[in-house]
Amino acid sequence: MTIQWLAIILSIIVFVFVIELVRRERLTFKYAFAWLFFAGLGVLASVFKEQLFTLSRWFGFELPSNFIFFGLLCAFVFLSLLLTVFLCQQNKRNDRMAQTLGLLELELTKLKEKVDGR
Amino acid sequence: MTLKTLVIIPAFNESAAIEETVREVRGVCVHGFAIDVLVVDDGSGDDTARRAQALGVRVVRLPFNVGIGAAVQTGYRYAVAHGYDIAVQVDGDGQHDALYLKDVIMPVADGRVDMCIGSRFLTETEGFRSSALRRFGIRFFSFLIRLLTGLTIKDTTSGFRACGRRLMRVFAFYYPHDYPEPEAIVVARRLGCSVVEVPVVMRSRATGASSIAFLKPLYYMLKVSGAILLHTLKHRKVYES
Repeated sequence: MTIQWLAIILSIIVFVFVIELVRRERLTFKYAFAWLFFAGLGVLASVFKEQLFTLSRWFGFELPSNFIFFGLLCAFVFLSLLLTVFLCQQNKRNDRMAQTLGLLELELTKLKEKVDGR
Repeated sequence: MTLKTLVIIPAFNESAAIEETVREVRGVCVHGFAIDVLVVDDGSGDDTARRAQALGVRVVRLPFNVGIGAAVQTGYRYAVAHGYDIAVQVDGDGQHDALYLKDVIMPVADGRVDMCIGSRFLTETEGFRSSALRRFGIRFFSFLIRLLTGLTIKDTTSGFRACGRRLMRVFAFYYPHDYPEPEAIVVARRLGCSVVEVPVVMRSRATGASSIAFLKPLYYMLKVSGAILLHTLKHRKVYES
């Protein structure tokens, strides 16, 4: 098996695995999109290797493998940044929900006291 | 006309000090003001909430610890929802002397300013003034805020502060969570709000430990400075609903 085929198969495995996670509702499409995008890009880059080599030379990389590693690194940096953004969003929503819960509990207590005539 | 005033007391594991703090605040009577107390129990593991409730004040119990910023914001949300004219923050650890409540409220009540901060550095040497290293940090934040906003605030980390309706609405929607005290000053200024300081005397913490006690002060300074600087880059619309 050539390296090209290995890259194609690996990219397809990641792509299919992410689709399967979405299908099983373990991952929503919103969060899966970035993974699918990079997996698809991986398939394209593996199939059209001549274009990949041309692009690598155009960017000034000595070896195409360095360009691939660089691309992978960029993809992972982007994905981890995206995850941090999602995490912060969740954190904010959690805090907001905790606040609302606390405020509602207080309103409920006040209402109970009013009903009980205290 | 009576001004509806809400004193927000955020508390996290302050069972030893909360009763005295609440009693002190409730003991304050200012002519022309109807003062209510709201204790925000920030997911305490002790009986802070129960002790405050036993005194008959309103207590919001947060289901888990969300940090000082989000706890204070809960108070602002309550104040806006119930039509308060002024909201005052008082720490639940007994550091702030309720005797100065009137001094902190008055500039806001007069409509002269949007925010008034009780400062321990406007008097000569009276009261608790923090350790030398922390004072250096506070002075540095003061310099940074002056540089960025043109505003001179000496006690940038003081949590003893009053806000009027405009800032209450802003803070109910957006309140800094990371290092809320100095950041809130920058947010207020970015929105064109006026901020002043009045002298107060503070006590050393009655119990518990400061939330920055175990952090390396220089690392803390770096993080706060970064958070303050980033506010100048944020779009104004992130602060407004």
